[in-house]
Amino acid sequence: MRLSRRGLLRAGLAGTAATALGGLASGCAVPTGSTGRNMVLWYWDGGLGETVVRQARTRFDNAVDLRAVKIGGYYRSKLITTLAGRAHIPDIAGLKGEDMASYLPDADQFVDLRTLGADRLKSGYLPWKWQAGIAEDGRMVGFPIDCGPVAHYYQYAVFRKAGLPYEPADVSAELNTWEKFFTAGEQLKKRLPGTYLLTDITSVFEMSVNQGTERFVDRDRHFIGDGEHVRAAWDRAVEAKRRRIVSNLVSGTPDQWSAVEDGTLPSQLNASWATNDIKNGVPRTKGRWRVAGCPGGPSNIGGSFLSITRACREPERAFEIITWVLGAANQAQGFVDAGLFPSTPASYGMRKLREPDPFFGGQITMDVFGPAARRIPVAYASPYDMALGQPVKDEIKSVGVLGKNPGQAWKDAMSKCRRIAQHLGVSV
Amino acid sequence: MATALEKPPATAERSAAARPRTGLRRHWHLYAAISPFYLLFLAFGLVPVGFSLYLSLHRWDGLGPMEWAGLTQYRYLLTDIDFWSSIGNTIVIWALATFPMIFLAMVTAVLLNSAVRFKNVYRFAYFLPNVTSVVAVAIIFGSVFSTNFGLVNALLQAVGLDQVAWLNTPWGIKVAIATLMTWQWTGYNAIIFLAGLQTIPGELYEAARIDGAGPVQTFFRITLPLMRPMLLFVLVVSTVTGLQSFSEPQVLLQNTANESTYSGGPGHAGRTMVLYFFQQTFDNNDFGYGAAVAWGIFLVVVIFSIINWRLVQRRGE
Repeated sequence: MRLSRRGLLRAGLAGTAATALGGLASGCAVPTGSTGRNMVLWYWDGGLGETVVRQARTRFDNAVDLRAVKIGGYYRSKLITTLAGRAHIPDIAGLKGEDMASYLPDADQFVDLRTLGADRLKSGYLPWKWQAGIAEDGRMVGFPIDCGPVAHYYQYAVFRKAGLPYEPADVSAELNTWEKFFTAGEQLKKRLPGTYLLTDITSVFEMSVNQGTERFVDRDRHFIGDGEHVRAAWDRAVEAKRRRIVSNLVSGTPDQWSAVEDGTLPSQLNASWATNDIKNGVPRTKGRWRVAGCPGGPSNIGGSFLSITRACREPERAFEIITWVLGAANQAQGFVDAGLFPSTPASYGMRKLREPDPFFGGQITMDVFGPAARRIPVAYASPYDMALGQPVKDEIKSVGVLGKNPGQAWKDAMSKCRRIAQHLGVSV
Repeated sequence: MATALEKPPATAERSAAARPRTGLRRHWHLYAAISPFYLLFLAFGLVPVGFSLYLSLHRWDGLGPMEWAGLTQYRYLLTDIDFWSSIGNTIVIWALATFPMIFLAMVTAVLLNSAVRFKNVYRFAYFLPNVTSVVAVAIIFGSVFSTNFGLVNALLQAVGLDQVAWLNTPWGIKVAIATLMTWQWTGYNAIIFLAGLQTIPGELYEAARIDGAGPVQTFFRITLPLMRPMLLFVLVVSTVTGLQSFSEPQVLLQNTANESTYSGGPGHAGRTMVLYFFQQTFDNNDFGYGAAVAWGIFLVVVIFSIINWRLVQRRGE
């Protein structure tokens, strides 16, 4: 054959095409999930304890190659895209607590953990947390990782100086209602001018909603954000503003951190994981902090789950790994590694969790978080909560930050919610 | 295609009719050579665009089955005050960013064009903001505009003015975002202006000087008119980028972990079109409506493109 330029070109193209097709074909051969030997686990930075993940890899080494992959960025959108694309789906996938409500309607994307015998482990986990991983039709999608019981973080010396209760037990007992908490805020401000109890009123609103058993949309896809429970939370937030116990700072900004550091924002209502944020954000306040029970009762923020996707070829093995990683002993390790608050009450008594914490003046913080975690109310989280809660949160923010008239703001929030509800097919 | 052209049997037309076939056959390798672009465009451009149109006619949560919605998403879009206000925000922020930016870029370019030492060092320094990650810049600007310890408020107080809660007031938010964009694009556009300035022949300036024109007159009578193509180019580019602003407000106004990052700050002052699209799609899992919003954005961009195109056309007359 004469080697012409055209011939070469043709041969080259054919070669390229063959390679491309071959690549596609081999890519298609193992697109979804495991081959039995490989097992891929998706989680995010701080989503699981590193020690536990490492130990799991060696422990199950003779059965599977556990590849634990940390996914950065917007985790949920990446997982959804992968699931929708039906290729390279992880066998085990972490699901973030705040996204859980949006996964549950698509429970068929995951293996029902009941079929793998999850029910026999149920008694070892917090009931409300267990419930949160179950879809409406009873299928169990998520196995509990951690939770985020809310506590009242405060600076001991500042409270003492303001003539407020300052020992954790006294603060828990005497500031147990919102009313008493707000009164304390007024006293704090009077005795120490320029000092505010809370950063903004948004936290009061959200915390109050979290303390209830209802949110914005109920099981029957009906909008209940105009109900008494939301209205009460709203009024409470407005009252915090009226009584001038909140600062004009934006939470998460350098301004707020410096106010926290110099003691002019000596108190915050936050989840257990905020311990790490405070330790990293204002390390110089070491020893000044204590934790007490949250006014108005316990609530929860965050906390995630592990799931087994439909693409997994060895669900039994995956379930074995999950239950080992999330057993009581390893959850205690997760708390030490990454501050993941266990969803297994059996961990609360373990020595690892009962270490006095010098950052909190030697307090054993588990004495506050442990009992709070057990008493968190079960609330139904609807996939529409995000869309229909946001307008209310936006308006309460306008009241707090821009000084918008509360009555007008409520009216605006409700009319916006009604419009969005109609659009989403949620009855009003 | 080719078979349809073969049909006419008349011998007179035969050679003409046959040419397309042999043309395709003879030149197929040329088509093959340019095909990678079209294949990639098909896979990553045309198909997603088509799919988003299809998506905008449905309701979809991103995972479950799609549900036909007809034109309801678009009907809702037209009455959605949040979408309209996001258009307003985008345009205000764009204007606040672009006009000072063009002015500053022009001044910088003229300064760079006059004989200074270390010209390349300056060029590099001015270009640097443009290649810095927006996210990193936004975090820095968050500190610069913070209320009690921000650099901006420190300057205001140094000259005896009150501090402004920049990231907590609607106008403050817009100004902060616009400043960020100005900072990021001034250098890039200055380099383009500089390239334009260097194409202006020196004889023109010489002639102007001989005719007794001052520096100001020279600038307005010679430099500016000859820079018009550059100005238009810069305007078009900044329109394209300005209408797509997303990371700037998203990072600048991000809040605590349990709050939405995409609501655009107090009073939604920083909620741009793309930010609104993102919120609807990924916060609310409303992929159908998200796609409709994206097409709404497309129409706005088309309108601006037509305006820009008209400006360029008029120049040609």
